[in-house]
Amino acid sequence: MTKEDIKSLARLARLQFDDDEAERFISEMDEIIAFADAVNLEVEGDTSTVKLEGEALPYEKLRADETQPSFPNEKILSGVEGEDGYFTVKRIIK
Amino acid sequence: MREMVAGLEIHVELSTASKIFCSCSTEFGAKPNTHCCPVCTGQPGALPVLNRAVVEYAIKAGLALNCEINRRTHLDRKNYFYPDLPKAYQISQYDEPLCAGGYIELKSGKRIRLKRIHIEEDAGKLIHERGYTYIDYNRGGVPLIEIVSLPDISSSAEAREFVEKLQLIMRYIGVSDCKMQEGSLRCDVNISVKDGEGPLGVHTEIKNLNSVAYMASAMDYEFRRQCEVIDAGKKVEKATLRYDVSSGETLPMRTKEDENDYRYFPEPDVPPVEIGDALVSEIEGSLPELPMVKINRYINDFGIRPQSAELICRYHKVAGFVEDAVSCGANAKNAVNMTLGTIFSTLNTEEDKENFDIKVSPAGFAALIKLYDEGKINSGAASSALMKMLETGKGVEDFIKPGDMKTLSDDELSEICRKALEENEDAVREIKNGKVKAMGAILGGVARAAKGKADMKKAEELIKKFIYE
Repeated sequence: MTKEDIKSLARLARLQFDDDEAERFISEMDEIIAFADAVNLEVEGDTSTVKLEGEALPYEKLRADETQPSFPNEKILSGVEGEDGYFTVKRIIK
Repeated sequence: MREMVAGLEIHVELSTASKIFCSCSTEFGAKPNTHCCPVCTGQPGALPVLNRAVVEYAIKAGLALNCEINRRTHLDRKNYFYPDLPKAYQISQYDEPLCAGGYIELKSGKRIRLKRIHIEEDAGKLIHERGYTYIDYNRGGVPLIEIVSLPDISSSAEAREFVEKLQLIMRYIGVSDCKMQEGSLRCDVNISVKDGEGPLGVHTEIKNLNSVAYMASAMDYEFRRQCEVIDAGKKVEKATLRYDVSSGETLPMRTKEDENDYRYFPEPDVPPVEIGDALVSEIEGSLPELPMVKINRYINDFGIRPQSAELICRYHKVAGFVEDAVSCGANAKNAVNMTLGTIFSTLNTEEDKENFDIKVSPAGFAALIKLYDEGKINSGAASSALMKMLETGKGVEDFIKPGDMKTLSDDELSEICRKALEENEDAVREIKNGKVKAMGAILGGVARAAKGKADMKKAEELIKKFIYE
C-alpha cells in the first residue's frame, strides 16, 4: 500500500484524511492484506485453475418468479440523505 | 480498402415479474425507490436468491439464437465503485456464462457470430441535476441478459439489421419487450478500422446507444473519425466514447473510477446452478415459431410478397391477428393487404403497431374479408366498412347492409360494361394492341357507374369477352 493508494480509496469513498492519518492507514491496510494473504499461503501450488467447488443447486430449486411487496419508500430512505423519494449524493459528474 | 470492424454488446432487460435476486417488482415507471428492499439496495447482511425465470428466459434466448447452453453456470462479482450500484459490485457472470456461441443470420446470408450470453443485474438510475445526483434503485436488480457478438459486423446497416432481428426474436419468444425508449434494450458498440490486409486497428467503444438510428449514425461518424486520424498519420487511441445526439459526434466519456480493473471473483452468496438436459429440451420444445421461419412460411403458403411478409411478421401481435383471421376463413392475401393498408393507416407509431390494440376481432375481420373474397363488396366498400369497424368496435353487419351487398344482376352488369367500353374507345384499341394496362380505365368507368355494387372480377371477365368477341 502506498500513500497514493490510500488517497485514491479515500477519494472514491469521499473521505478526507490528512497526511498523518494516511500514513497510519498504510500500516493498518498492510496488516489487513497480510491477514487475507494467510489464506493464500494455506492453498498450495497454482490456484489460478481452481474451480469453484461446492454443491450446485439444481434449476428446479431456484426461487419461483413471484413478487412480494417492497419496502415503503420512507423505510428505504431512512437514515440516508434523500429528496422527493430519491437518494441524493453530491453531483458525481459535471 | 478500409473496412469497418465492429462488435456489439447488447443489454436486454428480461420481462420477469420479480427482480433477479429479490421479490421486488420489475415494473417500469413506478415512483422512485418504491420497488426496493434490503437486497436490491445492498443492505449489509441481505442475501440474494436467484430467480428461476431469469435462468429460463436466458436459456430461451440462447436457444433462439443458436447458442450452446452450459449445463453448469455460476455468477461472479464485478467490482466497481459508482453510486448506481449500492453494493459496490454487480452480480454478473465472468468465466462460466449461461450460453456460449450462437449467431444471427442476416438477409444476405452472412452470419454474425455471438461470443456469449450471460445473466446479470441492472444498476440503478442516476439523474444529475443542480449540485446533486439523484438515485432511483427501482431498476437496480432488474434482470438483464448481455449478448456479446464477435466483431463480424462490417457496416452500420449490418448492425441495424442485427439489432432489429434480435429485438424481433426476443419479442417473439416473450423474454423482453425490447423497448429502447424505456431502456429495456441498450447497445454498446466496439469499432475499429481494418486497412486492407493489414492488422486490425485499435478499437474504441461507444456506450449506451438507446436507439437503432443513433447507433447507426454513431458508427458511421466514428468510422469516419478513425479514418481521418489514420489519414493524418496518427494512431487511433483506445477510448470509451458516448454519442452526442445534438452534434452527431462521438465524444470521450468520463469513465467510471478504476473501471479497467473489475476484480472479478465467484459470487459466494449465490450457489452455482445445474441445468439438466431435460430442462433444455423442454424449453427448446416450448419455443414458438421464430420470425424468419414465419416470414418464409407466409411467402410460401400465403403467396404474399416478401416485403409484405416481413411487415406483418415484424409485429408479433399483427402476425397472430392475421393468422387467426385466416383460420376463421379469410383469404390470406386479402387479409394481409387489408391489414397493411387499412388497419395500419390507423396505427401511426411503431408502438401502436407493436401493441396492436384494435377494436376488431380476427373473426370480425374474417367476416368482412369473406364478403370481399366472394365478390359481394368491392375493395372500397370493404375498406370504408373496416374503418368504421375499427372506430366503433362493431361488426361488419352494422355497416354493410344487405342492400349494399346486392351485386348487380348479370344483365345490369353487362349493360354497364358495354357502356364503359363505348366511352373508352381509345382504351379498347390499346388493349387490342396488347397494352393490358388500359383495362384500368374501363374498369374505373364500370366501378363508378355501379356505385360499388359490381363484382369487379366478373366485370373484368365480361369486358375481356366483349372486346375479343
